[in-house]
Amino acid sequence: MDYSKQIQEIASKLFADNKIDYFIGYKQNSFDDSQVPILISDPAEIPKLVFTDNSVFNLTNYLKPDHTKRKRVGLVVKGCDSRALNLLFTESQVKRENVYIIGICCEGVLNEKREKAQNCIECIMPDPVVYDEMLGTPSGKKEYTINVDIKELAEKSLTERADYFDAIFSNCIRCNACRHSCPLCYCAKCCIDQETSTLYNGANTSSGAMHALMTWSLHLAGRCVDCRNCEKACPSHLPLHLLHKQNESVIYENFQKHLAGIEKDDRGAFYKYSLSDPDDFIL
Amino acid sequence: MNVFIVETDKTGLQKFYEEIIGKFETYAPVEKFGKYDYKRVSKLSECDPDSPIETTMSVKPLFFPKTAKVMKFTEDSSGTTVSETNDDPLTGKRVILGVKHCDARGLQVLDQVYKWDYVDTDYQKRRENTLIISTRCDKAGAQCFCTSLDYDVENSDAHDIRIVNGLDGKIYIQAITEKGSTFLQASGIQHPASVNDAVEEIKKHYQSFNASFRLKMNYTEVNAKLQNLFDSPDFETVSSNCISCNTCAFICPTCHCFKISDEKIKDTGVRYKSYDSCNNGYFTLMAGGHNPRPVKYRRWRQRAMHKFVYFKERFGVNLCVGCGHCAISCPVNISIFDVVNQVAKV
Amino acid sequence: METEVKEAQGKIISAENPEIIAPTDWQPVIIGILCNWCSYAGSDLTGTSRIQYPPNIRIIRVPCSSRVDPWFIIKSLQSTADGVLISGCHPGDCHYISGNYYARRRFLVTKKLLNFVGYHENRVQFSWVSAAEGPKFAKVVAKVTEDIKKLGPLHRFKKENF
Repeated sequence: MDYSKQIQEIASKLFADNKIDYFIGYKQNSFDDSQVPILISDPAEIPKLVFTDNSVFNLTNYLKPDHTKRKRVGLVVKGCDSRALNLLFTESQVKRENVYIIGICCEGVLNEKREKAQNCIECIMPDPVVYDEMLGTPSGKKEYTINVDIKELAEKSLTERADYFDAIFSNCIRCNACRHSCPLCYCAKCCIDQETSTLYNGANTSSGAMHALMTWSLHLAGRCVDCRNCEKACPSHLPLHLLHKQNESVIYENFQKHLAGIEKDDRGAFYKYSLSDPDDFIL
Repeated sequence: MNVFIVETDKTGLQKFYEEIIGKFETYAPVEKFGKYDYKRVSKLSECDPDSPIETTMSVKPLFFPKTAKVMKFTEDSSGTTVSETNDDPLTGKRVILGVKHCDARGLQVLDQVYKWDYVDTDYQKRRENTLIISTRCDKAGAQCFCTSLDYDVENSDAHDIRIVNGLDGKIYIQAITEKGSTFLQASGIQHPASVNDAVEEIKKHYQSFNASFRLKMNYTEVNAKLQNLFDSPDFETVSSNCISCNTCAFICPTCHCFKISDEKIKDTGVRYKSYDSCNNGYFTLMAGGHNPRPVKYRRWRQRAMHKFVYFKERFGVNLCVGCGHCAISCPVNISIFDVVNQVAKV
Repeated sequence: METEVKEAQGKIISAENPEIIAPTDWQPVIIGILCNWCSYAGSDLTGTSRIQYPPNIRIIRVPCSSRVDPWFIIKSLQSTADGVLISGCHPGDCHYISGNYYARRRFLVTKKLLNFVGYHENRVQFSWVSAAEGPKFAKVVAKVTEDIKKLGPLHRFKKENF
């Protein structure tokens, strides 16, 4: 999968026609074969743009005002990334007319071990769901499958699962890289960062990490698009997808097969309800 | 520089490690979730002190913990009572295995801060009670540039005991400091007949090591140029893809910023001190609501200047030690080496 | 919470930590988060009707069951609570029209996630209790207290003890 040339041409044209102030794409990393994000405001840097199966990071993260200051942006998105765009547009975080979307029909990206990434093997939507220009041939929506890791964990006993998650929470260093790299975490001041530290534990304790990570995944439930930015950003390599995929599977099975960002006006599973939602667990 | 040197081989080295682990509280690189970090070990099989793989965090958390209890307090009708926490007795001696040159050098740099205007007795106690043993630096990593930063690796005294993999296939265990020399002698391990040969082999090792660096920086020029580049517009370009996530400061061997938070249940509470990062959007937020560094590039500028200019001005030694951990763990792989070179146009 | 091992029969073993054993007269702490318009009024009615229910529950009043953020539940479980009960209006009767419809979606996902992470599924329970259902509230509290008594003291993921 290599769309470097086409992306460079489109970016040149967009700058030449003065349609954008920034172009967000990928460039080659300086010390290994991966690709990292680049924000271009000077057309002279366009030759640095590349796109291959090492272009992993979800670039919609840069639509937060901190990075692009609400200016006009040209953006490269894969299937999963474009689902985040649907949510950002509906939640009024980004104006549709300020974004020129180049959607790539993704064939899967590689992980650190240079094998096809897990979320690409379980991908449900490789084609962009919103775009101004599409590159590649669409292959259509895929069948939803439950993540293999959560299936495996669900079979273990309660104590085994608790021990496993204990290890995860005590390895968290509370750097907040997961929140900062998630495109859908855009609150100007996260509830976890409030100065009244009686609400959340500001210190790096294991219970504080548990509280922060669990609340974060529940605030993201029904909106997570499984781009794995969080997992890639985590310096302690915590398997954060376990929490998000667990929520996603519960939502898919119980709330009319809802998957985040597929529909154009989607606002997440918790912003709508059905009169026939299950409530047999309620006394 | 001490010349108490022991010549041994792989089996001898393993026995040496096992003896240490059996007798002392030992820390070494341990693998978890696919990455290495320094953890307490009770058996040699739990850890890999010779692995050349980078640890995610440096050895800093063992001296400046990611969370430390500062004090306990209790509130009752008579007022608030403050008491000590018996958190970390710091009385036992401990050994850290597999400490790379950059990590050990980072501790020497941190020493400058912790004995400056306020002597941090906890940190000093930990430093006194710890023995540092190195290995793992045979070839420079992809992001290493420690030798460019006024650091003479061969004649460094950052370690107490240094383990050198000689090019002749033998392993040399060299005591560098008094502490290391006493330790090695007490361990009863035999030393070679020809100290001069060993010194030659160690020299050759370091020649090969110094030549293996891919990244080299003209440090004096960068430092001199950066002093006048505070207003450079390049800071904005080089930091444009940063996501302000705090990772670089947390894993850096020399970053030392912290925050204080109180945690209370009913009438008793604990005050914690934990890591903070100047990359955080709220790092400079003041009580009145003013925030001098709300914009990303200003925070990155502060980071680069502190690492390469301000600290050297105050303490005579560069704050960045050229370990490259930040570039490897950064979610978007921003390398401070590239940043300062780009801004200084070198 | 005492944790000495007792040889007598009828020991209570903590569901998440089998090594923690409590004496038979151990009493759980349950946090009850009740919506102001239905459940809280219902619990008031229970009291004025002189219907007895276990005293283990500590009640917190919120305007609507939809106000309950998952972090209230997690924070309670990390503090001194052994279980949490959240109660709201019956679907269709919410004072704010649709609050409890949104809430029941959130409740299901939270409950499943807490079980996945290692809490027993009966630690957090939910109910619909209307303002006229005084006896029902007593029954609900009795059931939840009984369930949590069987599960034993909660020791998992607690705040680090001082």
